[in-house]
Amino acid sequence: MKNRGLAFKLILLILSSVTLIFLLIFGYSYMYSRKIIIKNIEKNAMNLARATVNQIDVVLSSVEKVPENMACVLDQSLCTGEELNNLLKHIVQNNKEIYGSAVAFEPWIYDGEKERYAPYFYKSSGKIRYSNLGTASYKYFFQDWYQIPKELNRPVWTEPYFDEGGGNIIMSTYSVPFYRTVEGKKGITGIITADVSLSWLQEIVASIKIAKTGYGFLISQNGTFVTHPQKKFVMNETIFSQAEARGDEELRRIGREMIRGKSGFVPFRSLLTGKLCWMVYAPLSSSKLSLGVLFPQDELMADVVRLNKIVIILGVLGFIFLFVVIVFIARSITRPLSALAGATEDIATGNLDVSIPEIRTRDEVGQLAHSFDYMKQSLKQYIADLTETTAAKERIESELQIAHDIQMGILPKIFPPFPEMPEFDLYATIEPAREVGGDLFDFFFLDDDHLCFNVGDVSGKGVPASLFMAVTKTLIKTRATKDMAPEVILNQVNQDLSTDNPSLLFVTLFLGIFNIKDGTIEYCNGGHNPPYIIRASGEIEAVETTDGLALGVMEDFSFQSKRVVLNKGDAIFIYSDGVTEAMNSRHELFSEERLEGELKRLKGLQVGDILAGVTEKIREFSQDEPQTDDITMMIIRYNRNE
Amino acid sequence: MNLNVKNEEKETLVSLAGRMDAVSSPEFEKELGRLIDEGNVNFVIDLTELDYISSAGLRSVLVTAKKLKGKNGQILLASLQAVVKEVFEISGFSTIIPIYESVEEAMAAL
Repeated sequence: MKNRGLAFKLILLILSSVTLIFLLIFGYSYMYSRKIIIKNIEKNAMNLARATVNQIDVVLSSVEKVPENMACVLDQSLCTGEELNNLLKHIVQNNKEIYGSAVAFEPWIYDGEKERYAPYFYKSSGKIRYSNLGTASYKYFFQDWYQIPKELNRPVWTEPYFDEGGGNIIMSTYSVPFYRTVEGKKGITGIITADVSLSWLQEIVASIKIAKTGYGFLISQNGTFVTHPQKKFVMNETIFSQAEARGDEELRRIGREMIRGKSGFVPFRSLLTGKLCWMVYAPLSSSKLSLGVLFPQDELMADVVRLNKIVIILGVLGFIFLFVVIVFIARSITRPLSALAGATEDIATGNLDVSIPEIRTRDEVGQLAHSFDYMKQSLKQYIADLTETTAAKERIESELQIAHDIQMGILPKIFPPFPEMPEFDLYATIEPAREVGGDLFDFFFLDDDHLCFNVGDVSGKGVPASLFMAVTKTLIKTRATKDMAPEVILNQVNQDLSTDNPSLLFVTLFLGIFNIKDGTIEYCNGGHNPPYIIRASGEIEAVETTDGLALGVMEDFSFQSKRVVLNKGDAIFIYSDGVTEAMNSRHELFSEERLEGELKRLKGLQVGDILAGVTEKIREFSQDEPQTDDITMMIIRYNRNE
Repeated sequence: MNLNVKNEEKETLVSLAGRMDAVSSPEFEKELGRLIDEGNVNFVIDLTELDYISSAGLRSVLVTAKKLKGKNGQILLASLQAVVKEVFEISGFSTIIPIYESVEEAMAAL
C-alpha cells in the first residue's frame, strides 16, 4: 500500500468506502422493506383467513339453524310420517347448503312396531331422494352423528365422514337432539341432522388462491385434512401423520395449536411444493374445523427481490461509473505530479535548464508547479549571483594577495641586511594574521654610525590597517633625517597622521636610533609594547617607558626620548603585541612571561635562530588556534667592533 | 563580548564582558554611537569582566571618546583587569582616557 501510487490509494479507499456505505444502505433498506412487507402480509393473511372463516361460518350457522328450529317443532309435537317427510323434503329443497337432512328416532319411539325409523332426504343428481336410514345394515344408532349428540345431550358437528349407506359422500353432519316429556319426564326422542357436503367447503377453501402456489386447507378436530389441494390427503391423512412422515416437530406443534382453536401467523413449509411459506391459521367458530392458508414467501417477496436486483445492478453500474471517474481524477492529479517529479529529479542532478511541465489548472498541483518554476528561477538566479560573488571574491582575494606581496615588498627582507658590518646583527620577521596586516618594521642608516629602526602596530587589521601602515612607514622614512632625535621624528609623524585621520586609526610605534660605534640607543616609544634588552649575561629587562601615546590620536602630543646602552653581546628585542597575545584554544595568552622565558632560553643563538625559536614556540603554544593578530619581531645584537 | 547598558541618574553605565577585538569592537562602537545619538553623553564603562582588548578595541574606545568630546561629554573607564589596564597604559591611552579603580569612583568623578 505504502509503495503504491496515489491513484491506486485513491481508488482503493474511495471505492471501498462507497461500497461499504452502499451495502449498509442497501442492507438496511432490504431488511426494513422486508419487515414492512411481512407485516402487511401478516395483516392481509389474517384478514383473508378471518373473511374465509366468516364466509364458512355464516353458511354453517345458517345450516345449524335449520335442525335447531326443527327440533323446537318436534319438541312440541310428533308429526305424522307424511308431515315429517314433507318437512324434510322442504328443508333439503330450500337450503342449497344442506345436502341432506334426516330425523332419526330412538328405538320404538315413533312406531311401537318398529325399532328403527329415520326418514332421510338428500340431493342426488339434482333431485331430492328419500331413503329410510332405519335399515338393519346401516345401524344408525351406532353412527357418530347419532351417538355423540345423544351422549353429550347437545347439538354437535360430527367429524367429516363418508356416509356409507346414507348420503354416500364425504360430509359433516350437524346433529341436534330433540325431546319429549312423557309422564313429566323429559327424554330424548331422536336426532335431527343436517348434512353438509364437504365438496361445498372444499370449493370455498379451494377458491383461496394466493399468488401462484398459495392455498388454503381445513383440518378437523383430530387433525384430519378435510380439504386440501392434495386430494389424497383428504380424509386419509392428518396433519400429525404428515408431521410424522416429514419428521417436522414444528408442523406437529402448529397442528396442536390449530386443533386447540388458536390462531396465528407462522413460517411454514408447503406440503405441496416444499417452498418456504408463511401460514395463517384460524378456527371456525361454528364447527370444530380450523382453516390454514399458506402464503409462498418467494412469490410474495418477488417484487422486493426484483427491486433489490435492480438496486444491486444500479449499485454495480454506479460503482463502475465511480471507478472510471476516480481513475480520471486520480490520473489528472498524478499525471502532472509525476511530470513534476521527473523535472525535480532533473533539477536535483543540477540541470536547472529543465522546463517545468506547464499545468494550466489553478488547483494545488498548478500552484505547486508554479512555485516549482519560481523555485527553479530563484535557484538559477541564486547560482548566477553566487557565481558572480565568488568571482568577485576571488578577484578580491587575488588582489589581496597582490597587496600582501606589495606590503611585504616595502618591508626589508634580506637578512642579514648589513653583512659587511660586524658591529651588529639584525634580524626581523613579520607574519600577518590575514593576507595584509597592520604591523610594520623598518631600519635604515641616517648616517654612517646611526641606524634608525622601528617597529609599529596599526590598530585593526586588513586593508585599512595595511594602508595606514604603508603611510606610516613612508612618513617615518621621509621624516627621519640625519641628526634628528627620535621624539622629533615621532612628533612630526604623529602630526602628519593626526591631521587628516577620519577613520581614527592609530599606530603604536617604537623608534630607536642606534649608534653602532658606542652601542647607545636613543628611543621614543609611541604607545608600543616596551622592548626587551637581553643582556649578554642572560638577564632580561624591559626598556623603560617614555610615556608616549599611540600616533594618530592626538595631533599636539609631545613625545619624550630616553636612552639605553648596549654593551658587547647585549641585544634589543622589539615585538608587536601579536607575540604576547597569541592565544591557545583555552583562550590563554602567550604572555610576557613565556616570551621572557623563551628569550632567556634562546639567548646564545644566532639572532635569526632566536626569532625562529620564538616563532616556533608561539606556534606550539597556539597549535590549531587561528592567528588573530600580526606577529612582528625584530632583534639587534651589538657586537662592538674592537 | 557581552554588552550591558544601564541608565543611571547622571550617566550611562555600560558593562563589558569577554573579549573586545576586531570582531566584537564594531558592536561596542555601534551601540555607544546609538546611545550618544539618543542624547547620552556621560558614560562609565565597567570593564570588570573584560578579559582582553585588542588595538581594534582601543580604536573603538578612542572613536567613542572623540565623538563625546564634540558633545561635551566624557567616557570613563572603571575597574580594569591588569591585562587590559596594561594595554591602555602601554599605548598611552590612559593619558587621554580617564581610568578609575572602581565604578563608584568613576561615578563620583563625573
